[in-house]
Amino acid sequence: MEHPREIEGFWEGAGLPALVLTDQDGVWDTVYCNTAARPLCRDYAHLLAQLQPEEAAALERAVGASVADPTLLFCHVEREVYSAVLMDWSGYRVCLLQKVSEYYQNNQRALDEAIMANKAKTSFLSEMSHDIRTPMGAIIGMTEIALAQGDAPPRVKECLNKIKVASGHMMSLLNEVLDMSRIESGRVSIQAEEINIADLLHEILIVALPQADAGQLHFHLETGSLDKERIWADGVRLKQVCLNLLSNAIKYTPAGGQVEFYFDMVTESAGRVRMTVRVTDTGIGMSREFLTKVFQPFEREEKSTVNKIQGTGLGMTITKNLVELMGGSIRVTSEPGKGSCFTVEIPFPAADDAWDDHANQLSGKRVLLLSGSEKAAANACRMLSDLHVEADWAKDAQDVVDHINDALFADQEYFALLTAEQVPGVDLMAFLPEVRQRMGQDFPILLLSENDWSQTEYMFTRAGVDGFIPLPLFRSRLAEGLYAYTPEGRVQQGPLPLGSQRRDFSRRHILLVEDNELNREIALELLSQSGLSIDTAENGREAVDRFAASAPYSYDMILMDIQMPIMNGLDATRAIRAMERTDAGQVPIIAMTANAFVEDVQASLDAGMVAHISKPLDMDKVFSTMELFLGREHP
Amino acid sequence: MREYQKTYVENLKRIITLNDPDRQKAGDGEGFFALRRERSRQVHDLIRENTAMLRRELFPVLDDIASASDEEIGHLSDFAAALGAGGMDQLDLILNYSIHNALVVHARKRSKRDMLIRELYQTGLALFYMQEIINRSGKNRYQWKMGLMFGEAASYIKQYDDITDPETRGYIHRSMGNLSLAYGGANMEDAKRKMAAVRRSLQVLTDPMYREKTPSLPWDRYVYVSHQERSSALNVLRAGYSDPQVVREIMESAEFVREYQAEMCRQTGAKPMVRWRMGYEAAQYHCGIRPLSYLLHWLEQAFFERDQEDYSEDGVYNNITIPALYAEYLSRSEEYRSAKKNVLLHMYRQVERYVRSAAESQVGEQLSKELLVCLQSFVEYPSGIQAKDFLLRLVMGRDADAYVHSRLIAQIAEMMTARAIDARPDVLVGALGCLDADQVKANAPALRRFAYDSGLLHDVGLLAFPGLTRHIGRSWLEDEEEMYRHHVYVGEALLAQSPSTRPYAPVALGHHRFYDGSGGYPAEYDRSAQRDQPIIDIIAVANYFVRSTDQLSSINYQAYTYDQALASIADLSGTRFSPQAAALLLELAPAIRAYLDHGVQEAYAEAFRLLV
Repeated sequence: MEHPREIEGFWEGAGLPALVLTDQDGVWDTVYCNTAARPLCRDYAHLLAQLQPEEAAALERAVGASVADPTLLFCHVEREVYSAVLMDWSGYRVCLLQKVSEYYQNNQRALDEAIMANKAKTSFLSEMSHDIRTPMGAIIGMTEIALAQGDAPPRVKECLNKIKVASGHMMSLLNEVLDMSRIESGRVSIQAEEINIADLLHEILIVALPQADAGQLHFHLETGSLDKERIWADGVRLKQVCLNLLSNAIKYTPAGGQVEFYFDMVTESAGRVRMTVRVTDTGIGMSREFLTKVFQPFEREEKSTVNKIQGTGLGMTITKNLVELMGGSIRVTSEPGKGSCFTVEIPFPAADDAWDDHANQLSGKRVLLLSGSEKAAANACRMLSDLHVEADWAKDAQDVVDHINDALFADQEYFALLTAEQVPGVDLMAFLPEVRQRMGQDFPILLLSENDWSQTEYMFTRAGVDGFIPLPLFRSRLAEGLYAYTPEGRVQQGPLPLGSQRRDFSRRHILLVEDNELNREIALELLSQSGLSIDTAENGREAVDRFAASAPYSYDMILMDIQMPIMNGLDATRAIRAMERTDAGQVPIIAMTANAFVEDVQASLDAGMVAHISKPLDMDKVFSTMELFLGREHP
Repeated sequence: MREYQKTYVENLKRIITLNDPDRQKAGDGEGFFALRRERSRQVHDLIRENTAMLRRELFPVLDDIASASDEEIGHLSDFAAALGAGGMDQLDLILNYSIHNALVVHARKRSKRDMLIRELYQTGLALFYMQEIINRSGKNRYQWKMGLMFGEAASYIKQYDDITDPETRGYIHRSMGNLSLAYGGANMEDAKRKMAAVRRSLQVLTDPMYREKTPSLPWDRYVYVSHQERSSALNVLRAGYSDPQVVREIMESAEFVREYQAEMCRQTGAKPMVRWRMGYEAAQYHCGIRPLSYLLHWLEQAFFERDQEDYSEDGVYNNITIPALYAEYLSRSEEYRSAKKNVLLHMYRQVERYVRSAAESQVGEQLSKELLVCLQSFVEYPSGIQAKDFLLRLVMGRDADAYVHSRLIAQIAEMMTARAIDARPDVLVGALGCLDADQVKANAPALRRFAYDSGLLHDVGLLAFPGLTRHIGRSWLEDEEEMYRHHVYVGEALLAQSPSTRPYAPVALGHHRFYDGSGGYPAEYDRSAQRDQPIIDIIAVANYFVRSTDQLSSINYQAYTYDQALASIADLSGTRFSPQAAALLLELAPAIRAYLDHGVQEAYAEAFRLLV
């Protein structure tokens, strides 16, 4: 390879054997080999060929690392021993060699002894960890059992909680020690299997999000290109790497800070992808000195903020070892007081994605996407385009309406609406029911959300949302979510798990108070489909009498009309709440009225009602509201 | 209509009459106070009667609208029509909307297609007027729903041949045309959307096939209204945006409207409306055909030819909007702004006289809207009319009760500020830039004056919503409460417009926001960013005390006695109210009560003097 004259000029004067290298599409090529190095080797490839396999692999790893590795390497060339030091210079990587045979031999014995001692330490730690883990399991288990006993005095409960926290911490320390010892003793191997990245990310977020919440941190997930969703990888170890990085970021970021988790999966070559994970935080950061030791075992920075945080100093060592075992690299940048950024890159063999079947059924359909974020919308539109689905982005409610109206006049009606969970300036709870009215019951409205669907399902199904597609968005989930609403998807699934069919209140007993006979009959018929056992009352007085005559907790809920003869709903509610029985203050009483003045809604709440359902009764809304309150168990 | 519906409508008309200041009848300040009290009592009784009637008669029907009989539906339609007559100035816009919205539900459930189309149109139209009102605060609340309603009604054009009723077909065309109403923003995106919507509508309206299918429809009128709507996008050009296609289409429509009007006037002998003549002239300027000097001269001519007693739509436009537009165009040139100062000041004096001369029935939504436009473009000259005075005179000229309310708060706020300066000056540190207690004491007169004026100006935003405080003849519905909350945005924008009122803008914005941020509005108000927050805290607590104890103006909730209000303030100290401000008011409670015993009457007498 030709080299610039200045390279020669500089490195000839170095006095030490030096090889100037450059990365040629993933292969390290020699740009220049100085005169001092030539007695040892012709070029870098020749040098590698002369080394022991372990030494060659270590040198390859160090040369290939994104930042020159400060680890000292020894290379046996013929009968001499050389130390190899790597450095970056003018965009090149330079391998500097120095003959250290005498020093090496003098220290060989001490080194052998140290290695033996280290192995003994590893073995001891491993066995000790095993032995301690068993009784620790018992301590944790018994603490859980003790805590589950409701009658423990407060002081005992407090002690038990402290034991729980401390033993949990001790267990995690033991696990890390054990992990490290396994790695050091070469007992960890990578078991590649076909895994789904969507599932993997989901599992990571389930663990990380509550941790971030508990630390009062803003957690931000960002995904880049996801060219492939299925890869061959050791899912358990990959998850461990990601969680180690995340829990570290969460641990060292004070409340109010931010942790960002970036993830992409880019095609590297046919059948191969490169995964990039980047965890950035606004935490306490690390000093320049400590950065050189961050991946060494048992190293923790000496400063007051760190000392207050529990840890072994093994997490990052384990992470680095695992990443390297998977053939990847890890690098870190950090600034004290500003935060840190760990980046992991690992190449994986790609597996076949499985969303093509659904894509055939979706091809040519049009979807409207409501999102306040241009970036998120662009990402979703790109994925929809990969599924051959035409997508229009609406940035707000007016935009949705414009698109719906335009599409109608252009005879290009939408197949579904995908909506973000929060859109600035849009009250989705008011907007989506109107879209539902306009587009009809069969028009799918699907929510894109990072949150657990079970937590928000009540609210969004009330607003007319049919289903949920979890974020981060993957083509497979998008395809699956939309396919379920195609004619073929509906046939395959049978009735969709929505509306009244989904609800089963067969063990529940309610009191329906409604003076209008026809309304009562209709409500009875619709409500009874869910298996509810229903008593009725024709006015407030009758409702009060029925409640008074019932056994405590026999009614799970009361649906109360407001305007009734003899006694209205407000007075009836007040009368029930005033009764001296344990359930009088607890039974949920829900008002049923369509039109209410501001003061009326307040009056029903003041009277002791807990919610308000509009008339005419929309059973989906009724059931959703009931789900909210019937989910509560009796004391 | 059913009997209660007729009574309700009559009561509303009566309330408008009772709210008229009726200066002549009052005689003097004392008489004015007695008259206002008596009439307020009567209005209060009518409101109670109306609220009870609706609760008893209307709401049960709306509750069960799906099973309402055809006869009942007919009565409801008539009732809604009576409430909705008068465009912007309808008797009861929100109730009209609620009824039409319920009728949409009825039509859907009963699969009454023609009725559904009609009711979607009517609901869309009511939403348009609601949006027009809320738009005064620069906010958007009903636009998308209006688009959904009109869009759905217009979508029935696909079933045109199945729909035989010409009136229903008319609603389809009108809905299609009205889709353009959703785009009123002064920005190019809205303008382009409006152009596209009108183009689509005109394409159908000029299609011979539809005209042949329904010859009885007023096609030419529909086309004319579409052009009117398109030429209203002139506001976008006024805001400085320019796009050749948009300019061309606006010019085309402005010409069309002018010629159509001229032809109609030739036939009827009437005078062409200035609004649309102005549209044409302004379009000529924005298209580069006429210079600014020509347009200003034209506006001067139009103003001086106006009828000063005309409170019709065109009269309001000529008397209030022309000066507003004149000020706006003057602002484009420093030379004209200076040269035409006296003309503009004369116009402003005439605006004030015109507004103060209006009878209550003439102070409707349209007048308020145009007045707001005038205030929003107000040009304040250092030696000319000050925006603060102009605003105060218009608040008073429009609504003596509102003036009295503000006057009481101003007085109490000043008392509280004086007490703070004497006893606890540290409470006011920060206000008017005072860095410590000594500076507070040194600036005592300025602080007292600032607190007083803050009290007078804190509610100027209510100018934008005259119907809420003066015309609603029943307890409020949720939409009305929501509209009311927007007065803080209007107030802030109005006060921020001119140097003399700018310091009071945060008072208008922040006086309903809770001290601890747990409630109140607007949510985005940041108290930590306000230099004069100690005074805003004082206004907040004074406002609560006056408002909650006003036995006659509190139509939504039972008014408190003084003791109840004081107990409530003590209770809300630290959450809703600043503890320091709450403590000041509680300490001064005896003095404030003593003041209110005569202060209300004095304030009315003052309002009367200002009126005459």
